[in-house]
Amino acid sequence: MRKAFLETGRPAARRLFTTWLTLVALTLLAMWSAQLDPVSRQSSLPVWGFTLVLLGAAYKVQQILLVYLNLRVSSAGWRGSFLALVWVVMVVVWAAYWASLRGLV
Amino acid sequence: MTTLEQDEWGPLSSLPGNPLMWILILSELLVFSAFFVLFAWQRSLDPTLFNAGQMQLDPVLGGVNTLLLLTSGLFAALAVQAITLGDVLRCRRWLALTMLLGLAFCVVKLLEYAAKIAMGLTPETSNFFSYYYLLTAFHLAHVIFGLGLLALAYWKTSLQNLETSTAFWHMVDLIWVMLYPLLYLLR
Repeated sequence: MRKAFLETGRPAARRLFTTWLTLVALTLLAMWSAQLDPVSRQSSLPVWGFTLVLLGAAYKVQQILLVYLNLRVSSAGWRGSFLALVWVVMVVVWAAYWASLRGLV
Repeated sequence: MTTLEQDEWGPLSSLPGNPLMWILILSELLVFSAFFVLFAWQRSLDPTLFNAGQMQLDPVLGGVNTLLLLTSGLFAALAVQAITLGDVLRCRRWLALTMLLGLAFCVVKLLEYAAKIAMGLTPETSNFFSYYYLLTAFHLAHVIFGLGLLALAYWKTSLQNLETSTAFWHMVDLIWVMLYPLLYLLR
């Protein structure tokens, strides 16, 4: 039965747990990077702060796609397209925040 | 689904699970991506107003909801693993836990809405709150639909039903992972 499971290409329980731990750790890291104390919340985040939050979010989405949705067993074209969509959105959002911080908009 | 039927999906046949669900996932991702870009662009035009709106949100409550969905995603994946190994009872147990956490997410979200409305913060309050209610309510509708799909998979437990319903659930999880920092953390 276990051999048959491995042949399906689905991630094993150990991988599912380590992915979950990574996702939780990155969520907590994002909350720390966002400086949520009442005083810091009055001002915009520094570049490193919003970069870290967005990098963490993009990596989490990538892990959900590859492990939980098991996209790693699909063709390189599909895998690349989904991941490219996520990273392009994150880069555009990052650029908007960066431009706003620099007063370019 | 036979090999012949899978081949009939053309390029989509290389995707794991039901190809129709992947079409839905892709279309939902594109719709939400457009909203995220629109939100970031609007925010860059008036960062002071958006920051002031964000100050009214509780980022810890949003974080709790993120952890609830991430954990439910793990349980959903474990349910698929259980049914692949032929253990229907264990699969249903994981599915029940997944739905329980999904319901907890809905309760937290509704409590959050109630608190905001009690403070007089409605979609008409500002541009930020229009986006906040639009994006989170649209996402919440997906969570409720996902719970319905999971309930159907609990009732009619099969590998295909599990793969299809949990794929939708992971998509709901994935969208929240992008939505949470955008609304609650980035400023």
